[in-house]
Amino acid sequence: MTYVRKRGRRFWLPAGIGALAAAAALAAAFAASAVGKTSAATPIKIGILSDCQGAFGAFYDTDIGGALAALAQYTGGHLKNPNKPSAGFVGGTVAGHPIQIVGFGCSNDRADTAIKETKRLVEQLGADILIGPLSGDEAIAVANYAKSHPTKTFINGTAASQDPTLQIAPKNFFRYNGDGAQWNAGAGDLAYKKLGWRKAAIIMDDYSFAWTSGAGLIADFCAVGGQITKRVFPPLNTTDYSSYVRQLPAPDKVDGYFWVVGGTGTVPSLKAFEQAYGPLSAKNVMGNLFFEVTGNFEQIAPHVSGAYVGGFGTPGTDYHSAAATAYFKNVAKYIKSIPPFGKTSIPEVYGGFFYNYYKAAWALSLALKATGGDLSGGQKALQAALAKVVLNGPFGTVKLDANRQAIEDEWSYQIIAKPGQTLVKTVQWIPKVNQTFGGTFAASKPPPSRTFPPCTKRALPWSGKERPVVNGVIK
Amino acid sequence: MTALERLGWKRLLNWALAFVGVLLAGLGPVIFSAFFAHTILTQVFWLGIAACSLIFLSAYVGMVSLAQVSMYGIAGFVLGNTVTQGQVKGLHLGYDPWVGILITIAVTTVIGLLLGAISSRSAGIYFLMITLAFAVLANTFFGQVTVLSGFSGIGNIQSFTPGFLGNPAENPNRLYYLAFVVSIVVYVLCRYLTRTPFGLTLQGIRDDPVRMGSLGFNVPLHRSIAFGFAAFLASIAGILFVWWNGQIAPGSIDLSAVIDLLVVAVIGGLFRLEGAWLGALVFVVISNYVRSVPGLGHIGITAERYHTVIGVIFLVIVLLSPGGLLGIWEWLQNQLDRAVLRPAVARPAPAEGPEP
Repeated sequence: MTYVRKRGRRFWLPAGIGALAAAAALAAAFAASAVGKTSAATPIKIGILSDCQGAFGAFYDTDIGGALAALAQYTGGHLKNPNKPSAGFVGGTVAGHPIQIVGFGCSNDRADTAIKETKRLVEQLGADILIGPLSGDEAIAVANYAKSHPTKTFINGTAASQDPTLQIAPKNFFRYNGDGAQWNAGAGDLAYKKLGWRKAAIIMDDYSFAWTSGAGLIADFCAVGGQITKRVFPPLNTTDYSSYVRQLPAPDKVDGYFWVVGGTGTVPSLKAFEQAYGPLSAKNVMGNLFFEVTGNFEQIAPHVSGAYVGGFGTPGTDYHSAAATAYFKNVAKYIKSIPPFGKTSIPEVYGGFFYNYYKAAWALSLALKATGGDLSGGQKALQAALAKVVLNGPFGTVKLDANRQAIEDEWSYQIIAKPGQTLVKTVQWIPKVNQTFGGTFAASKPPPSRTFPPCTKRALPWSGKERPVVNGVIK
Repeated sequence: MTALERLGWKRLLNWALAFVGVLLAGLGPVIFSAFFAHTILTQVFWLGIAACSLIFLSAYVGMVSLAQVSMYGIAGFVLGNTVTQGQVKGLHLGYDPWVGILITIAVTTVIGLLLGAISSRSAGIYFLMITLAFAVLANTFFGQVTVLSGFSGIGNIQSFTPGFLGNPAENPNRLYYLAFVVSIVVYVLCRYLTRTPFGLTLQGIRDDPVRMGSLGFNVPLHRSIAFGFAAFLASIAGILFVWWNGQIAPGSIDLSAVIDLLVVAVIGGLFRLEGAWLGALVFVVISNYVRSVPGLGHIGITAERYHTVIGVIFLVIVLLSPGGLLGIWEWLQNQLDRAVLRPAVARPAPAEGPEP
């Protein structure tokens, strides 16, 4: 060893060791603080799990904001920072029990991370109730976790894969939003009747939510006689879609494309298609909810203004009703802006990311009130109350089926971006869609996948019951 | 020599500390909180076994392999596919758990042997690249081949464990003790192996493969077998991992998991087997508790940036001591020796290779 290097070590090594020792001591102190932590009986501890990274990381504060807005409205608290929901929540109480948000989980649409965050919130931070997650595969993992932890309660955030409430369906997992297939009820029908498609191809992210969402479009379209000629599956979080769009048939071989690519992938995949085959038009593309979410809408709508879009369980931004206006006003009272989208706006608050978390926290508040905040006996009373909750929401009534899955009204949209008119136009309303999608899906059948459901003609319960929506009013 | 030196006080101290550590770990579920024992320490045990497979290869065979995560991932996927049944993703073959375990270990070891055979003639950066390519391949494979897994992965594996273990979600202590005992067995096995003729041959190959080749040893064969052995160790880690986690998905073995395991090994000490578990402990504790440290939010370490803290600590350790934490510990012991016990006599700098 050289003299210079030796001298360097004599100073830096003890300094570094000191720093490491301090860090280790700190970590040990926190570990020790976990020792013998007793959960006080009085506060009701809630954890909220969403995505802060990955394809849907932009919706972190939107999701948390939705849940906290409902808690603020129904338990009397308020946000620590009305311009940043993830800063926290104080002041709520139910029947004398203070509401304590133990933490916000930060996941990245992957099952593993969701489980890590769930364990952190439930086991380390002591949450009694978890609201979340955001993404389909995370919910499958959380539902499996819920099955082994029956004394805790799990209320879905906005995840919409089918499995958690049909194939897994634990008794302590509740979902107050439709799954991806339910949301698309009526959309395939629009493609057949309004756009005149007979043969279509579908491109969907290769994971459970997109399969479920695509399944709804396929089942709806094929039920009335349409044919799906090709299914293409880019992996989630793909950045370069060029090889995947090339697998789609050329525009002269099909009448249209169902586009079920979401999050950060929607716009790049559409751009890749246009580079390969030329511009898309409103006549030959139909998206799922990701065409109209804030962030994507601004880029997609000007290109394909007039395109039809599958639903998100809520109407478009042109919907009018006294209840909807009251809902928006209440939310705006508690939350002034939602990063990174800016000032609290109707597109944000009407969107499913916000509203589904809002419904989850709202249902929880109602159930807690009904049981007087009683979490004893393995939370049996709370879970029984949650199963019976009926939400008379601004966009329709939501109640749960026998698997604790929402039965709700669904909507279809058209995205409009012409000079002088930018909106998500509501075009169709379908009442009371349930998860079996008219018998297409069942617990004994496999969950949606690359190959399921097949393209079959069948009678759907809402054929003929869809009602058009004109200027934001159901006709 | 002083009396202390004759006794080998450093060795005594190390053994004493190891004994205390093992004792604390043995009493883990009793003295620590349920979360710390079941979520932190059990993870430390299986992660330590995986890191031990990496350190065995790097310390005793001179090969730094980035494929160990894929090995334990493959083990987890094979176990998931063979033992689960019902409405889960994957093949859901529903075999008996013990049959599943045997198949898992066999398949993973064979894959390790094959990968070792492919890469045994390369060294240094080229070997690293081959193992990295394999890691990316395994991750993509399980994401794309949806009949075996898909993006969602395979869940509910906890319901299909051997009888004596039960469901780890309901009986976490059993898995804790199993992982603890298996860690000790793996450590002892590795230490024993390094003293056998085979182990000594591997170390010779590490130090000078050309000379060993000219002495008549089949260098690629020995490397392949070492790789197979490391895959065997990793398969044990993988089995414990899926029992602990309950599920496995391609995200469990992506590039960040590969880097995490390397970080664990380097933090602990890339040339010491004990470093595997020490590195795993430091890594898991910091990853879990760094977000609870007050004030970090004010300097921008928000929820999604805790990896920054881990990265900084990793950098500090690597810059200060290539031997990791155990290297620092040895340095401390030597400084103590020099300052207190034999201050007047100049001593040669300690060697930084692994001890035989």
